[in-house]
Amino acid sequence: MAVAQSDHAVWLRGIEKHFPGVIACDGAELKVRAGTIHALLGENGAGKTTMVNVLAGVYRPDGGDVWVHGQRQVFRSPADAIAAGVGMVHQEFRLVPSLTVAENIVLGAAPAFLRSGEIEQKVAELSNTYGLAADPTRPVWQLSMGERQRVEILKALWRDASVLVMDEPTAVLTPAEAAELGLTLRAMAEEGRSVIYISHKLDQVVAFCDEATVLRRGKTTATFSDLMDVDLAELAEKMVGTATAGNIERPEPLEPGPAVLSLENISACNDRGLAAVHDICMQVCANEIVGIVGVSGNGQKELAEVITGLRQPTGGKVSLSGEDITAASPSARYARGLAYVPEDRLGVGLAPKMSVVDNAVVRSYRSQRRGLFLAASKCVAFCRGLVERFGVRVGRLNDPIAGLSGGNLQRLLLGRELAEEPKILVAAQPSRGLDVQGVAAIQGHLVEQRRSGVGVLLISEDLDELLALADRLLVMFEGRIMGEYGPDVTPRTILGAAMAGMPPQ
Amino acid sequence: MMRPVLVRRDRVLPAVQGFGFLVGIFVALVLGAILLLVSDSNPVEVYERMFDSAFRGTDSLSRTLERATPLALTGLAVAVAGSMGLWNIGAEGQMMAGATLATGVAMMTDGLSGPLLIAVMLSCGVVGGMVLMLGPALARSHLGVNEIITTLMLVYVSIRIVEWLEVGRWKDPDSLGFPRIEEVPGQASLPQLFGRANVGVLVALGLLIVFSLAVSRTAWGYELRLAGSSPNTARYAGVSLRRKVLTALLLSGGIAGLAGAVQLTGTEVRLTPGLSNGFGFSGIIVAALALMRPSGVAVVAFVFGAVQVGGQSIQTLGVSAAISTILQAMILFGALTAVVFFNYRIRWAGSGDGSDV
Repeated sequence: MAVAQSDHAVWLRGIEKHFPGVIACDGAELKVRAGTIHALLGENGAGKTTMVNVLAGVYRPDGGDVWVHGQRQVFRSPADAIAAGVGMVHQEFRLVPSLTVAENIVLGAAPAFLRSGEIEQKVAELSNTYGLAADPTRPVWQLSMGERQRVEILKALWRDASVLVMDEPTAVLTPAEAAELGLTLRAMAEEGRSVIYISHKLDQVVAFCDEATVLRRGKTTATFSDLMDVDLAELAEKMVGTATAGNIERPEPLEPGPAVLSLENISACNDRGLAAVHDICMQVCANEIVGIVGVSGNGQKELAEVITGLRQPTGGKVSLSGEDITAASPSARYARGLAYVPEDRLGVGLAPKMSVVDNAVVRSYRSQRRGLFLAASKCVAFCRGLVERFGVRVGRLNDPIAGLSGGNLQRLLLGRELAEEPKILVAAQPSRGLDVQGVAAIQGHLVEQRRSGVGVLLISEDLDELLALADRLLVMFEGRIMGEYGPDVTPRTILGAAMAGMPPQ
Repeated sequence: MMRPVLVRRDRVLPAVQGFGFLVGIFVALVLGAILLLVSDSNPVEVYERMFDSAFRGTDSLSRTLERATPLALTGLAVAVAGSMGLWNIGAEGQMMAGATLATGVAMMTDGLSGPLLIAVMLSCGVVGGMVLMLGPALARSHLGVNEIITTLMLVYVSIRIVEWLEVGRWKDPDSLGFPRIEEVPGQASLPQLFGRANVGVLVALGLLIVFSLAVSRTAWGYELRLAGSSPNTARYAGVSLRRKVLTALLLSGGIAGLAGAVQLTGTEVRLTPGLSNGFGFSGIIVAALALMRPSGVAVVAFVFGAVQVGGQSIQTLGVSAAISTILQAMILFGALTAVVFFNYRIRWAGSGDGSDV
């Protein structure tokens, strides 16, 4: 029986969505009232983008259903979602650079007879109504990022969207543009439209939004119907986990050995050339796990890439057991004992279209040669060794790895990195998105490495994991280390405050 | 309402590929039969003639091989770049550049013995193709300039250069005023194998084997495949993407240049602006159908050569040249369509999602 849910503009009920190797949504729920700005929060990989893609008709859910204004909807394509009044502004804008603002706005939804003057006038009217300044006659390639975003919003309004989804809208904006966006969204909400706002910038969320839903590991873990009296620390804490850390056994205390990795005054830029890491000094010693905690997008990825050689720092020095490796290539660093489990497993750590064997030898193929040739038998033997030692469940070794489950991919990747007994392991989000056994296996290996004398730098958004495993915790906020905390003695509220940029008094 | 959904296959089996091609070609032949009936030809007779002229008897077979040789080389050229995710659209131009340099060296060196001259000319073919590719390759590896555009543009440049040589510097004094370049010396002809097939067949076959092994079995090929399929993973493994792009494109250009020199010494007698004859562009289709694998290029080039020989032969049955070209194109379309089904299978999905209220 269809039950009208007219009091909600959007109701995503029990959404399930699986991708090869990853459970993106596991029964997640989202309710958005009409006329409100609703924040959708969660760490990377919590399922936010998957949820809104289900709402926008990009993905079909494996389970659960979608209600828009009290009507149950089955979207077959984004066009269906647009027809139902759902507009989406993606993180990467989808505009045609050579067309004008007006042409982009009406593209796909233009009246049969195009009279450019008339359309430009209508677009101008629309942009005046919402205070979205954009000259309709200018080609899009001339516009700044903020202006392009306004064009995307106008595009949705042109199609009379009653629900507007904004995915990380302020990531590309200057602070002034972000403040302006806040006013525009408020004007839209006052008209009775709803806005779903995905962001990691908690201060903006609290400033702009009325309600919030927090996702974690594909499930809805918290909802806030009024953000007025919620503080940032509480939000940050909800995002990274509130469950008690009972299920992970704390490793026995060990006396840390000599420093294996040290960073001196490291600074670095992100992909857009903006400063992302500021003047970081830190050390990781043998026999210890150092955790880096923070809401994602605060420079953790850039820091890991600087350490492993995938990104050149703009200043500072990286040393491995006292040896300066700032200029060394990623493979040279690996050869000296620096292993890396990157956050983007299938994009950086592994080559999804290549076989299990090919992926197993990514680090060591140079030593599996026989003359010019790669010795197939050596490669297979090496791969089989990893598979057995790390309990990777695989089909045929010559099949592409894309068919493996997330846990097995990560076992293979971690196994490969540990195969040649590193001195230091940098692991970014190593257990994210894995099932229970996968998480336990990966965490077990990290503890095992610590015991055998390896230094582990564990970058995670999962506070439970960090509190359980790490010997020391460093909180990162806007590219800086906010402070060092002992995991046993620090209350979560203090960590939450530090993650939101508020150092303890 | 049922509607088809394309589902990506986890693994592409060679048997599926072979079967797919056959089905694709069969569908094309059925559609072609309609076309032939409309244009008052007997499809059975036409197809029989096509088959006979391409395969029956050593003479027919040698014609097919003669056609397949440049297709195999240009197909390999495109596939080498393609295995790194790069598109060499200008094999046509690199063929001309290779043939031009080979002609030039033949003019400058007088009285070299046959085998030596041939070796020098073929080497110059490789160098010529590489020289033409050098600009696009450097632009791509160091500045990120799209190689599709640059390689394509140079096709026209190299053809115009040959036209200019034809009326200018290299004009044959004995041509009675015709714009024509001197024939290459007689001892520079590639030895014939049988019928119209020459040693070029062996050159192409040898290179296909070498590259097939190099790509699938060597550390170099491993790096190439890694860089092509996951550039970030390659960087992480310590592979220099810049150097890989450069070598893949230069090798691609060199092989296409060799195709030009082989065509010059094997089939043609002199350098003309028409020497490349579309083989460079056809090479793109060959490589695409072979899924960028050198081993596949051999098979596809042979079939493609047969289609061309067969297509020409039916003109003697009164089928117009246009119909014959359309027929060839349809067969290729059929095979290309089949490629979709290598990678995807069709699933019929109902309108709901199985959990209707």
